[in-house]
Amino acid sequence: MFKKILIANRGEIAVRIQRACRELGIASVAVYSDADRAGLHVLEADEAYRLGPAAATESYLRGDLILEIAERAGAEAIHPGYGFLSENADFAAACERSGIKFIGPSSQAMRALGSKTLARQAADAAGMPRTPGSTSALGSLDEAYAVAEEIGYPVMLKAARGGGGKGMRAVGGRAEMKAAFEAAQSESERAFGSTEVYLEKLIERPRHIEIQVLADEHGNCVYLGERECSVQRRHQKVIEEAPSAIVSEELRRRMGEAAVRLAQSQGYTNAGTVEFLLDEQENFYFLEMNTRLQVEHPVTELVTGLDLVHLQIRIALGERLPLAQEDIHIRGHAIECRVYAEDPDNGFFPLPGRITCLLQPGGPGIREDCGVYEGWVVPMDYDPMISKLIAFAPTRNLAIARLLRALDEYVVGGIRTNLSLFRRILIDEDFIAARIDTGYLDRLLAQPKIVIDDGHENVAALAAALFEVSRSSNGSSKSVAHLQTSAWKSLARREALRK
Amino acid sequence: MKFEIEIGGKLRTLELEPGDSPQQYHATMDGEPIEFEARFLRPGVLSLILDDRSYRVVLEEDANDPAVYIVGRRFPYRLDDPRSLKARRAHAGGADGPKPIKASMPGRVVRVLAQPGDAVEVHQGIVVIEAMKMQNEIKSPKAGTVSELRVAAGDTVAAGEVLAIIH
Repeated sequence: MFKKILIANRGEIAVRIQRACRELGIASVAVYSDADRAGLHVLEADEAYRLGPAAATESYLRGDLILEIAERAGAEAIHPGYGFLSENADFAAACERSGIKFIGPSSQAMRALGSKTLARQAADAAGMPRTPGSTSALGSLDEAYAVAEEIGYPVMLKAARGGGGKGMRAVGGRAEMKAAFEAAQSESERAFGSTEVYLEKLIERPRHIEIQVLADEHGNCVYLGERECSVQRRHQKVIEEAPSAIVSEELRRRMGEAAVRLAQSQGYTNAGTVEFLLDEQENFYFLEMNTRLQVEHPVTELVTGLDLVHLQIRIALGERLPLAQEDIHIRGHAIECRVYAEDPDNGFFPLPGRITCLLQPGGPGIREDCGVYEGWVVPMDYDPMISKLIAFAPTRNLAIARLLRALDEYVVGGIRTNLSLFRRILIDEDFIAARIDTGYLDRLLAQPKIVIDDGHENVAALAAALFEVSRSSNGSSKSVAHLQTSAWKSLARREALRK
Repeated sequence: MKFEIEIGGKLRTLELEPGDSPQQYHATMDGEPIEFEARFLRPGVLSLILDDRSYRVVLEEDANDPAVYIVGRRFPYRLDDPRSLKARRAHAGGADGPKPIKASMPGRVVRVLAQPGDAVEVHQGIVVIEAMKMQNEIKSPKAGTVSELRVAAGDTVAAGEVLAIIH
């Protein structure tokens, strides 16, 4: 077993990997930016090293510094988590050269699958269905017109190096192409440093279904079932679940085998995810491959009973997969909510700040992978995800009920979060009936929000007044100066001291 | 003590007095008498029992935007004694006069789109703020002239901080 692993990440995923390390008896090395000196991943680590200023380009994206620290600390392997350097083939190659094991695929496999156009070529070679369209970068606007005419509008323009919905444009007809082509190119250049865009047929009302694969370094590869991630906002996943309510045993096998074929054709190793779109006739189309651990991996862990991070580490050590395809069974249902520091009542603007109160849910079937704590100031410099709330139950309906129960227990005070959005989705009849596609959430958000006063407003009013009295008795209130009577003061003081 | 509390767009008049024993309270809300028991579990967290129903209430202390949480739901409120509420209403009067433009989120100023002296339309973008990989254009609440600009590109701003003033 490795003795020490450096985790080149922050937040909840760094903490999640540290937990796996501790369970396996491996020391964990954290790296941090100035904004994260007191971050949970630093507090929970065995060793911690400063990288640099808050900006990711000066800290978590500094592969050179991270490798230097790994050598200094004596770490034998680096786990990149997701985001940051996790899909950076140059970094993976630098690790290979320095003899530090990168916990993920080889730089070569990452290069072949990391570019969306190369991945589409690989999909063709592996005989796997993909959306009609180009398999290399469009050379000119004229070529874009030609490909679009051939496959028929509507089409989708996408950045070859893209991700997270950036550099993507839907094009309804010829008249929209020019502006969309230029916008996609410039957005792609700004976000990914490449103007390479390609074009594919737009699938109407698709579901996003992805297959988790796991491959060892001895040629064995299995699939761990699917995840459905159709609940999205601006191409960002909001809720993920496993299994999908509509994927049959037979469809799972066909998609799983296609994913395994693609991975094996490129000599892929470690954990990876093959993303598909599923149309209304249940035809599936290859979308892209994510060559890393996914944010939503916990739902797969819960329904398969496997620990993906343990397995990633064992595969990186050169161990064989401990199980064959027929040993993998999907049991129960898991749903994950991505908790973001953003305000759903104000255009989902990110709202970093200090967490003044944190009450976390627990009890049967609830898992929370959290990267923050009470008193922590959520920095403005990184992704706003602070936690993942996951429910596991024998059935989908029970998993929904567990999540709703957990949301009632969950308080994140001091910053705004999207917790109220989950409650809205989880009681929506289309979601409950699993009538979802990637446009579902936008349609739900376009509907007027129904506010029900279940009597809690009166309780809130009483509590607000009582808080005001207790505060003014401490002399900290400016607005209610006239309400001190000595009896009140002493009462409030006595109460405030009561533990 | 008398309060006026606005929650969910509804204004309530509340009179709150200590009851006969510690932790007992007597209130009158919009003329309705209410007896309840409450204890502080720690500053900012209350356990409240009203009509045999149990509530845990968490206070979110924010001078500009206070709120309480009950069963995971957030209830923003505005609380005043009646005197200052009247004063505030008198102040609020109409769209005339200078209007401050405030940052809706903490972040970094990436661009300034108007200069002092510029005439601006209602909803015209004035400042662009970036936080957590997202840019947010802060717009003018009214047509007028930029009389003051308090930030420059590169500045870090807090939520609620005044960025500019429109006359």
